[in-house]
Amino acid sequence: MADNKKFKKRYCKYCEAKIDHIDYKDLSLLKLSLSERFKIMPRRLTGNCKNHQEMVTVAIKRARHTALIPYIVDRKNVVENPFEILK
Amino acid sequence: MQHYETLFVLKPTLTEEEINSQVEKVKGILAKEEAELIATNTMGMRKLAYSVEKNNRGFYTVLYYKAQGTTIAELERNLRNNEDVIKFLTVKYGKAKEIVQFNKLVALTNRSSQPQASQVSEPSESQPQISEPSEIGESEQA
Repeated sequence: MADNKKFKKRYCKYCEAKIDHIDYKDLSLLKLSLSERFKIMPRRLTGNCKNHQEMVTVAIKRARHTALIPYIVDRKNVVENPFEILK
Repeated sequence: MQHYETLFVLKPTLTEEEINSQVEKVKGILAKEEAELIATNTMGMRKLAYSVEKNNRGFYTVLYYKAQGTTIAELERNLRNNEDVIKFLTVKYGKAKEIVQFNKLVALTNRSSQPQASQVSEPSESQPQISEPSEIGESEQA
């Protein structure tokens, strides 16, 4: 398992798709940088480039503010199917 | 004149007529302030990710417009005082690069608001299809 990880080449998915702006209402784009608990994933895990990471960070924070995605998921506030609401 | 986008969420308890009248009210404020309304994106009734003032759903509307900066203060004051509005967010598109994106968003909303055969022939060009994000799940399993 560790070997697989070692050789896996990470790349920025937003660069690959040639996205130059991340809209906070487009949840399918935000989904790529969110963990199961709706935390913002760090660049070292997703492989995002600096430029896109900054864009997606702002977009996720805006989406949280407008109740499109949750701030936190905990035992009191359980989401049964984490990515279902992103559809 | 600057480019702005305002999203606001209305209470789910309102009837359809009340929702329409509230949206018209917001548009009326913009018209009074001599703002130029460019596009309207009605996202409709959605489930909220967390409860807001004990509401679990909300009616989302997005307005794209050009206005003077002073308009925003007046608009936000009205939204804040309106008890039927539970959330709102205004985003400014200032730089030249951002304005290009603004125009793209407007074109997208105009296209999706008129569901025609042309939409089927070119499936969402401005939203490039990305492969399923299995990456996140995999990295956590590993």
